[in-house]
Amino acid sequence: MWREKLSIKKDNAIAALYPSAKFLIVCLYSFCSLIIGTIKIEGYPFFLIPWFLIVPILCAASGVWKNFIKAFNKVLFIAVIIFVVQSLFVPSETIIWQIGFIKVYEAGLQSAIVLSFSIMNIAGMFIWMFQTTENKEISRALEDSGMNYKVAYVFISTLQMIEVLGKSSKTIMNAQQARGVETEGNIFIRSKAFFPSMVPLILGAITNTEERVLTLESKGFDVKCKKTHLFEIEKSGKEKLAAVIAILITTLVIIGRVLAWVL
Amino acid sequence: MGIVIEFKDVSYSYPLTKEPSIKNLNCKLEKGKFYGVIGKNGSGKTTLCTLIRGFAPSFYQGVLEGQVLIEGKPTVDHGPGELSLKIGYVFQNPFNQISGVKETVFEEVAFGLENFGVPVDEIERRVIEVMELTKISHIAEKNPFELSGGQQQRVALASIIVLKPDILVIDEPTSQLDPEGTESVFEIIDALKREKKTIILVEHKIDLIAEYADDVMVLDNGEMIRFGPKQAILSDMSLLEHGIQLPQMAILGNELVKQGVKLDYIPITEKQAKEVIGRTLRKESV
Repeated sequence: MWREKLSIKKDNAIAALYPSAKFLIVCLYSFCSLIIGTIKIEGYPFFLIPWFLIVPILCAASGVWKNFIKAFNKVLFIAVIIFVVQSLFVPSETIIWQIGFIKVYEAGLQSAIVLSFSIMNIAGMFIWMFQTTENKEISRALEDSGMNYKVAYVFISTLQMIEVLGKSSKTIMNAQQARGVETEGNIFIRSKAFFPSMVPLILGAITNTEERVLTLESKGFDVKCKKTHLFEIEKSGKEKLAAVIAILITTLVIIGRVLAWVL
Repeated sequence: MGIVIEFKDVSYSYPLTKEPSIKNLNCKLEKGKFYGVIGKNGSGKTTLCTLIRGFAPSFYQGVLEGQVLIEGKPTVDHGPGELSLKIGYVFQNPFNQISGVKETVFEEVAFGLENFGVPVDEIERRVIEVMELTKISHIAEKNPFELSGGQQQRVALASIIVLKPDILVIDEPTSQLDPEGTESVFEIIDALKREKKTIILVEHKIDLIAEYADDVMVLDNGEMIRFGPKQAILSDMSLLEHGIQLPQMAILGNELVKQGVKLDYIPITEKQAKEVIGRTLRKESV
């Protein structure tokens, strides 16, 4: 009964793909993004822009559109900053646009498109993978792929701990605030409060590690035997098709790149 | 009853320390008994627990003199995992006892059994049984990190009890809990006592030790200064000189005796106090 409760059932065929198939798609997509970034029309990597559309389309088709938007906001923020900085501060002889002392250089714009869209493409694809795959699916897939269960443990506990440490950080910040330390305001005030809070957070995490290690030993983590798994992960049956499509697209991109060199 | 744990001339020093944390300890702990371990901070209570479980010296390193025997075999000679099945260990901080890789309480409790390769059907049966015992069935589908301290400690206890160890070492399980959480944890410990588990409990809440324990061990500066049935030890006012608290009822009883009231014995629990003081009052009124 509980085994069924713990299993993950997904109606969406794309979201239900086995984690290793999704990882293959992410790797090939990232590889293609880097190649497409080198195909330029009059010096501009324009193909990167329509190529990025694949990410939101894939997320929408996988049924994780809302979660994608939520997570992608942060990536978009970074990408926009990089775009602006590159456009304004990478100088070249040709100035495309100018208002007063603000100048957008040609080389800067070219570099801005490559960098910001490459980040959005690769990060967007990872967001798709993590939004459609639960941590325990990744952990199980890692072990099934032959990875040592200890490495799989480190990987998954790290993912879980990010959230836990985030909460601890908020608690420490609230404690600092209660002692009269200013934690709200502009970026300088926030960073003045942020860095001192890192010391108790990191030291606390390190000291807790000892007890956590002993707890794991108490639960037989180190015992050399065949482990049982309550959670079983099943393949959707569409993995081969997904891999073939991904490889086909990658081949076309490589051919396109070669043709762009030749022609 | 048989002896399950024996300390033979045990002294133990942590690495880089000159003074041993446990000095010349000799004692035998019987199967199925509930031992309360009390003492000031730094008196060696936690070190005693880690010696029983074998974490000292295997994990902490340090120097161990003498022998700690579990069912007649030195802890250092037990293979990896062997002691995990024999001895369950529950720590102070419930938060640190969460594995960090399981998303539900059910899976968290099952984690130890998965590690030992127990068949899935048996895991389900045992986890359900233990969750009922520890009263956590209603939170089985919750994330362990989102629970209150009391709930987390009950999950920690369940995760250990599910392994069915004969010996349970519990180190200040209620130090971070409110009265309600404390009570729920002691209800579980009491249930384990009824199952004839050998329990070694370190606890500062002396009234709870007086109520639940069979025998008491008192540590002071690494030395065992008292060991035996709780009644005699917890009513001994000389322990106050060692900075050890006594149950409220024992202090009241001693004070009454000092004032000339003739009590049959010094009570250490509320129930005993009601009984012995009531009896004395009845005698005097006759």
